[in-house]
Amino acid sequence: MENRRTAQLVTVAILATTICASAEVRKEFRFAVGPGATISVTNQYGPISVKAGSSNQVVVTAVLHSDKVEVDHNQSGNRLDIISHLLFESTADTGRVDYELSVPADANVTLRSTTGPLRAEGLHGDVVLEGSQANMDVRDVRDAHVHIKTLNGTVTLNNIRNGHVEVASVGGNVVLNAVSGPLVQVNSTSGQIHYNGDFGNGGEYLLTSHSGDIEASAPNDASIDVTARSVRGKVENDFLLEPKHSSFVVKAGSAFAGTMNKAASSVRLFSFSGKIHLKKR
Amino acid sequence: MDCLEFQEILPDVIDGSRNSEQEAHLKSCPVCSSLVADLHLISREARQLQEFAEPSPRVWNAIELALRREGLIREPQRGPALVPPVARRWSFGWLAPVAAVALIAFGVLVYQRGTRVPQPIAHAPAAVPAAVTSVQSAKNLTNPNDEDRQLLEAVASRSPAVQAEYATNLQNVNAYIRDAEESAQADPNDEQAQQVVMDAYEQRATVYQMALDHSLP
Repeated sequence: MENRRTAQLVTVAILATTICASAEVRKEFRFAVGPGATISVTNQYGPISVKAGSSNQVVVTAVLHSDKVEVDHNQSGNRLDIISHLLFESTADTGRVDYELSVPADANVTLRSTTGPLRAEGLHGDVVLEGSQANMDVRDVRDAHVHIKTLNGTVTLNNIRNGHVEVASVGGNVVLNAVSGPLVQVNSTSGQIHYNGDFGNGGEYLLTSHSGDIEASAPNDASIDVTARSVRGKVENDFLLEPKHSSFVVKAGSAFAGTMNKAASSVRLFSFSGKIHLKKR
Repeated sequence: MDCLEFQEILPDVIDGSRNSEQEAHLKSCPVCSSLVADLHLISREARQLQEFAEPSPRVWNAIELALRREGLIREPQRGPALVPPVARRWSFGWLAPVAAVALIAFGVLVYQRGTRVPQPIAHAPAAVPAAVTSVQSAKNLTNPNDEDRQLLEAVASRSPAVQAEYATNLQNVNAYIRDAEESAQADPNDEQAQQVVMDAYEQRATVYQMALDHSLP
């Protein structure tokens, strides 16, 4: 009798799980676009991942986790908007949609999600990512603007070449690996900033935090003109820098300045209470 | 009916004329219902603004006196005249400067109202002070604590779980602004310090932007 009851309970549980699982709906949308298309995806709950694909088509795969959410899409010429449309009484679970997009590599992409994560890969159009809690990952992007805003999400940029990179992170950490460009600017209140690369050849690199630590690793052949200052934090430098004439006040332990090699790129590291470390790689 | 279709007929909806399908969408869609509520609020506020900003007769009198002093309005000439009477030549050209002055007066009134009345949380505060070289203390701004409190209330009403997180972030960002301003004031010639003030304000604007984003859970 006891065994039979247990079996019944197990069966009910399996059925419930199956029903829940079957509530997931997978949808696919295809849109023809021209060069330099503008694509935006707004998704309150769930990930958005964008990769380079066909040169004239956008393929959107959306997995809807319940019938409490719909996917609205609107194409006007070369502009495409995809929006998760939350229905009444939806929650973070029932309103979740998982997006995967394949877009032309030259598309300009804007992704917004509260929870994320957000990911863009292999593009050479502009990339804009926004989300309060969303972790963000951008990789293999070149010749493009990369603009990122987050409250507490972790931002990871890998292999961004010739970029115009602007990252604003209030509390999330920011990691830049092999990121170079005419402009690389990171601003954070309490998040840590890690830069690992060679600072390119002729760009401007501004890494600023209030209380987060800043760590920049570069090879011996990096060509930089660097200033670093922490108002209340400690500053360390592993390189032998050439002194330079400037109004910047050098103070042992809290500020340093100097050049290396041909000083092609300008590097400015600034924090109020975070520790700054320019490391030899 | 989806959001796009609904938003196309938004003006009709705001006027109060809506059919059952539109009504059903409004009830089922939090985004559109929030949008309609916002528009109603703006409409109500605008009506109050109009009432408040109507200049008193004294303003018109003052404008008239000023125009007479400037010679833009002259008394009709007495005595024989070769030209037709003024009344016949009277044109409404003088109304142009009057309208211009009235417009300026109206603008001043609206501006004064804007500085006196607490702003509803419908937009982020200015990201960056107008001139960084004349950096204001955070204490001199329209009380940031009030703005923050309103923001946190708005966050709590929509998503209580994240209120503490926003409170912490605002606290940190305000500390950032204080430090940045002190640093810039200590050395007004320090270009980097001036830049950091802007960076700090951008962080504050980011917090507000995220909090007011309608995609907030």
